[in-house]
Amino acid sequence: MALLEVKNLDVRFAVRGGDLTALRGISFSLDKGERLGLVGESGAGKSVAAFSILNLIAQPGYIAGGQILFEGKDLAAMSERELRKIRGNRIAMIFQDPMMTLNPVLTIGTQMVEAIKAHRRISTKDARAIAVDKLRKVQIPSPEKRLDQYPHELSGGMRQRVIIAIALLLDPEIIIADEPTTALDVTIQAEIMALLLDLCEQENVALMLITHDLGVVSQVSQRMLVMYSGRIIEQGPTREIINDAQHPYTQGLINALPQMGEPGARLFQIPGAMPSLKNVPSGCPFNPRCSFATDECRRTMPEYVRAGNVDVACYEVERLIAQEQQAREVTP
Amino acid sequence: MSASPLVDIRGLEKKFDLSGSLLEQVSFKNGRFQRKQEAVHAINGVNLQVFKGEALCVVGESGCGKSTVARTIMGLLSPTAGEVHYEGKRIDTLEGKALLPYRRKMQMIFQNPYASLNPRMTIQQTLEEPIHFHHPEWSKADVLNKVQEVMQSVGIDPDWGSRFGHEFSGGQRQRIAIARALAVDPEFIVADEPISALDVSIQAQVLNLMMDAQESRNLTYLFITHDLAVVEHFGTRVAVMYLGRVCELAPTKALFASPRHPYTQALLSAIPRLEDGRPNYIRLQGEVPTPVNLPSGCVFHGRCPYANDRCRQEIPELFATDDGGQVACHGVEEGRL
Amino acid sequence: MMTATVSRWARVRDSFLWYSFKRDKVAIASFIVLLAMVLSAIFAPLLAPTDPYDLALIDIMNSELPPVGMSGADGAFPLGTDAQGRDMLSTILYGTRVSLMIGFGAVILQAALGIMFGLLAGYLGGRVDAILMRIADVQLSFSTLMVAIIVGAVFKASFGSLMFGEIAIYMLIFIIGVAEWPQIARTVRASVLAEKKKEYVDAAKVMGFRTNRIMFRHILPNTLSPIFVIGTVQIANAIISEAALSFLGLGMPETQPSLGSLIKSGFDYIQSGSWWITLLPGLVLVVLVLVINLLGDWLRDVMNPRLYKG
Repeated sequence: MALLEVKNLDVRFAVRGGDLTALRGISFSLDKGERLGLVGESGAGKSVAAFSILNLIAQPGYIAGGQILFEGKDLAAMSERELRKIRGNRIAMIFQDPMMTLNPVLTIGTQMVEAIKAHRRISTKDARAIAVDKLRKVQIPSPEKRLDQYPHELSGGMRQRVIIAIALLLDPEIIIADEPTTALDVTIQAEIMALLLDLCEQENVALMLITHDLGVVSQVSQRMLVMYSGRIIEQGPTREIINDAQHPYTQGLINALPQMGEPGARLFQIPGAMPSLKNVPSGCPFNPRCSFATDECRRTMPEYVRAGNVDVACYEVERLIAQEQQAREVTP
Repeated sequence: MSASPLVDIRGLEKKFDLSGSLLEQVSFKNGRFQRKQEAVHAINGVNLQVFKGEALCVVGESGCGKSTVARTIMGLLSPTAGEVHYEGKRIDTLEGKALLPYRRKMQMIFQNPYASLNPRMTIQQTLEEPIHFHHPEWSKADVLNKVQEVMQSVGIDPDWGSRFGHEFSGGQRQRIAIARALAVDPEFIVADEPISALDVSIQAQVLNLMMDAQESRNLTYLFITHDLAVVEHFGTRVAVMYLGRVCELAPTKALFASPRHPYTQALLSAIPRLEDGRPNYIRLQGEVPTPVNLPSGCVFHGRCPYANDRCRQEIPELFATDDGGQVACHGVEEGRL
Repeated sequence: MMTATVSRWARVRDSFLWYSFKRDKVAIASFIVLLAMVLSAIFAPLLAPTDPYDLALIDIMNSELPPVGMSGADGAFPLGTDAQGRDMLSTILYGTRVSLMIGFGAVILQAALGIMFGLLAGYLGGRVDAILMRIADVQLSFSTLMVAIIVGAVFKASFGSLMFGEIAIYMLIFIIGVAEWPQIARTVRASVLAEKKKEYVDAAKVMGFRTNRIMFRHILPNTLSPIFVIGTVQIANAIISEAALSFLGLGMPETQPSLGSLIKSGFDYIQSGSWWITLLPGLVLVVLVLVINLLGDWLRDVMNPRLYKG
């Protein structure tokens, strides 16, 4: 059984003029120790997906349907009290902005000790020992000293390390990291990513990495999901998708990267922009930007089809697979 | 490149005073009054030349002074020391009317498309104003034509002129911001991280647009970015900055093929590439020092694995290498690296 | 002009302002009450049964008549009469008019001064900022009433009561306007400081626009919403200040009464049982100030939740 299994998750936002669907039919699973990448552009719903796992979506958002099974128990149906036992304890989160997690007026030590004591009956001394141990794990020099420092005394990279240490404090099964390195410089980003990767491997923690950076996903995750306009349009092993993307959007996203183009030549560009939640087109949400779009695409949302080990929601891929099969049948 | 440069920056320095007024500087310590002055040394002696028709990319991490260089060239900041020349004329000392022709020739594109358009002005007004200002003799029809032309050239439907900025997506806003810069027919455009706030698929659109504009209008770019992948694609030459100094300056191909400066090497190795299965990078020791107390000697020595005594004492100057670039590194100069 | 042009009314209808107004019952009720009061004040000469300024119409024999419904009331005076025999309804209508005129007038003056100085201080910064803001600090450290009492007393002594009565309304507008400009100046300065860091201002500078143009055409329109909020609350404050001054005898003379001077004129008779002379204008004043403040609160919530009223 998968550690975390999300089934048919729908998330809506109640706003003036009716509900907006932010996530539609999201299904994926995460095994113990697995690293899963969630890729999409802003507005694709990847952060909403991450937040909804711990039922942390802010008003006016709400889970409208589906299940979030963590070790077989449905987080979507849990009470706030039960959820609190899981948040930070069994499933930890890392945010893009360290200052969202760190309280600027408390020392790092106080915050870490508090986090441990919220979930475990333990003396302050022992809690501090755990904190020091975790800070050492994230390679923070002289961790004892850092405990008495305030967040603003640390650099951005150090702060993000502290955040990772806090996430690890209670030995969680899953870490959900929402764009953990976006605010950092490339050299620091590389360090933090490598650190996160090593720690997850050492401690056998599952990682759900939310990012817009395909390069990061390809380096870190074993499987990836590509989101577009609140739907997962493609999911499968990372290498397979990066090397041979099936969905026209994923292909476009990869080909639009400057590193894919000839220097000085025009980059591949997907026309238009992602629709806002207010006016998602009918059928496949990508159809207005897709060069393969047919009437069928404009009418109904495609079901997932399997291409190799990848699940794709695209009629064009479906057609291609059908053609291939036909060709095979004709020439045995 | 023997031609005279379009833009020439000589010995540019910029300090931001941190210490406030005289009263705030004075403190009473150890039984006597002391006056303490602190400043952020954002740029420390930058020499750059931009040649006509090229796209010079300036890369570096946050705090390296790349944006300060851009803003100083555009006159949004006045340099503490050094000179900015445009077509051989010194422009950093010009004021008022004398500066106006350069305002038309030099334009800027900003990072944040959500803040660079005036929220209370329609797109039409935003684009009309600069044209009208720089060509007061033009008739209303001429101005309108020009607005239509630039809107079309950046792929914005001229019928949308009566809308406000917030009615557009980030990518469209950045197109409008580019249209505003192009509206006065500039020769030289400083682009300060123009695509970092945009999504990947939109980044490609805007980069293509900027390259189209460069071709059709014969533009020269100074492109500020932290994204090396973009530089490799877009730049003619690259200047790598660290702590307010240029540490390497080379034609793009040469720089990416064989980076010479240890910092450039580390920076290049840190780009997450699709081919990689794992982060694979040169690890630097420590962190970027604060620009308040600059290290002595080479600004990079504290993090450089090859630093020796000379690096700790003597500031390296840029010197020409055999592959057409310039490096400021004692190690490369001595042949150690 | 173009196909995509949306009419102004449609813009208003789609706007968040209109949407939240429609849903806020308090705001709607306040607005209706305020509108009714403003309209009846504007059309007071048409609505009022008598003209309280016309001495020929006043009969001392009608003094201190109670409102309709009490014994001894006269149907011609639905809200009773005051000590001089003036119709209460008419005096209240005319008094509201005076109070509103002073409220709006003072705020227009405040806004003019506050926007001017706030823009200059915020945009130019440095020494200009230091000087203007220190003046504002000094100004704020005097209470409005104290300044008004001193100035009012000086005016009254030098012009004499008769002349004073004629210029009282302008003097009150001037005093309240000048005394309270720092409130608006500070708000404007704060928003200018935030706005001038934004890139559209840099873009305007790079275009070569002059400082005046950038300040007034680019920055000012973007600082208007907090001014609107503060301005609304300040109208209520100005009306209260005027009432307080009038109550102290330094405001509007009894021949041209405002709500404040009406309250004062009835105060002496409250012991003799003629409570309506003070209470009715008092109620009107409370309702007027309350609805303006409620609207101000609503505006503040809609336009900028972070802002706190001055």
